[in-house]
Amino acid sequence: MDLRVAAAYLCVALVTLSDATGAFATLGERADSIANDSHALSAAAPTTITRAKYSMQELTAETTTVREYLTPEGVVFAVAWNGLVHPDLRVLLGCYDEEYRGALAQQQRLQGRRQKHVRSQRLVVETWGHMRNLQGRAYLPELVPEGVNLYEIR
Amino acid sequence: MKFASIVGFGTLLPFIGAMAGCGGGGGDGGGATASAPTLVSITVTPANSSLEIGNSGLFTATGTFSDNSAQNLTGSASWSSSATTIAAVSDEAVSKGTVTAVSSGSAMISATVGSIIGSTVVNTTVAAAPVNVMAVTVNGSLCSASSYLNKPCVSVTVCTPDLSVCQTVNDILLDTGSFGLRIFRQLIPNLALSQVASGPGSLTGCVQFADGSSLWGPIQRAAVKLGNEPAVLVPIQVIDSTFGSLPLPCANADPTPVSSGFAGILGVGVLTEDCGPGCVINSSNGVYYRCSGPICVGTTVALADQVQNPVARLPEDNNGLMVQLPAVPVKGVPSLDGSLVLGIGTRANNTPASATVFPTDQNGDIRTIFNSFPTAGFFDTGSNGLFFPNADPAVLPVCPAPNNDWYCPPVARALLATNVGNPGLPTQIVPFNVSNFFTLTNSPNNVFRDIAGPSTFGFDWGLPFFMGRSVYFGIEGKTSNLGAGPYVAY
Repeated sequence: MDLRVAAAYLCVALVTLSDATGAFATLGERADSIANDSHALSAAAPTTITRAKYSMQELTAETTTVREYLTPEGVVFAVAWNGLVHPDLRVLLGCYDEEYRGALAQQQRLQGRRQKHVRSQRLVVETWGHMRNLQGRAYLPELVPEGVNLYEIR
Repeated sequence: MKFASIVGFGTLLPFIGAMAGCGGGGGDGGGATASAPTLVSITVTPANSSLEIGNSGLFTATGTFSDNSAQNLTGSASWSSSATTIAAVSDEAVSKGTVTAVSSGSAMISATVGSIIGSTVVNTTVAAAPVNVMAVTVNGSLCSASSYLNKPCVSVTVCTPDLSVCQTVNDILLDTGSFGLRIFRQLIPNLALSQVASGPGSLTGCVQFADGSSLWGPIQRAAVKLGNEPAVLVPIQVIDSTFGSLPLPCANADPTPVSSGFAGILGVGVLTEDCGPGCVINSSNGVYYRCSGPICVGTTVALADQVQNPVARLPEDNNGLMVQLPAVPVKGVPSLDGSLVLGIGTRANNTPASATVFPTDQNGDIRTIFNSFPTAGFFDTGSNGLFFPNADPAVLPVCPAPNNDWYCPPVARALLATNVGNPGLPTQIVPFNVSNFFTLTNSPNNVFRDIAGPSTFGFDWGLPFFMGRSVYFGIEGKTSNLGAGPYVAY
């Protein structure tokens, strides 16, 4: 746990440096980054739902809705979305984006498929759906609180 | 029915005097006033007609008597055909004179009473393709040679708005999971279409797919011909990753047909536009851009300027469509011929005998329950397998790498899912089969019924669902004898 939190804070430090360029990040960050996302994604004020093992904040941007899932300690362990377009994953993945791009580049393109599953060392990114209702999620398996059913994360 | 088809007879040949029965029986001369009038000749009508293969028509034999009276002898004459393999005629009491066109050619149809014979010629013709039918080949002649498994292809003709120049493009993916026509620039290099303006710039589109791929290019008005329907003037996307500059959502835009796996894509799902109201009011929609030179910025777009499902713009057959594919054996086939029939209940060839109608939500989704797990269900010819979540790994293990995006059960699995219309009715159980992807596809075949793979969420009823079925897609805002769109029926 200590290592995880340390990793998360390392991520925040990097992101803070990049704030000036507009490259906001959330996955692995503390909840206060959601205000950044809300701004970067042109979203209205978030709505919050609290569950036993986590809380969820939903940001409705112009054509895409993003949900951020928080551990009881307030760290974002997952994001999910649906809408007209996939959101800017650089914003949502933050310092995990590079790791994601690396894993994606290793993956073979599957023509005829309408979903994708990318797994890297620390991150899982999945997309599904179809035109006008594209959906997806990204999560950090190590940070998912015990007892949370992944089927709730969407 | 037989009477109805007679209405369609046309006299194609000049009259050639087919009445042969002039001999015999008439030699009484005058004077025998007390004797009954005798049969002098028989005339068979319709004369010199044409009949489409497979159709039937009722012919009539009319006798002319020595007192110049006439009598219908259809039921009493003996009927025959000079070439029964071309046109058959019934001599049975209940159907005397009914001619059925069997194959292409000409035959003489004769009616005989005693020694008097009357005849006419019938020309049998190949049925003209109905205007509302488009051929679909799965990995067949309309697909490029290197196509991936279970790829349904159609041919579309694209013309300049004034119809002066047209080009027919094959290898167009038939896609009920998207909306509108998109064709790579490389396939229509010299076709001068009409660029849709966006303020002082050029309207340009970015469409993303659920696998993370994207298509980028200018939106241009074209006259699009589907089958033998009248051309419809609609905005299409000319796929061109070199146009303007790529915005972030299209940073990975496919550059060539080889990269995307198709020359173009024909989106004919239940919705009318590719973006809809979201792009009318929001400029940061991520789908539409205004490009001036290399500078492209997000823009709002009126519905009429968005890429349109061309079926919705047809003059008559605009309320939906039917995808029809033959059944496929478990081991698969090299290729498959089916059809895309435009319109629902607008013609004899698209009126369903029976179909269960599933109203969809505003995204074109229903609900599908599998292993007690409900998820959004959709019907997508553009997906080459069945893809669904929550499979029991003991029943449906994924294949070893590199095929771990497919299921490889040790034996064929017979499974059930339940489709539920929006918002809660009707409910119907759908049986389906999943076999070992690796074993099945280790074959020269390209078209398979029983291939499936995992999805995180969403039950994607891909192309295998369509095999052996007629599946109807009712377009939003339109009605048919199946009800008000949007709906899917099968």
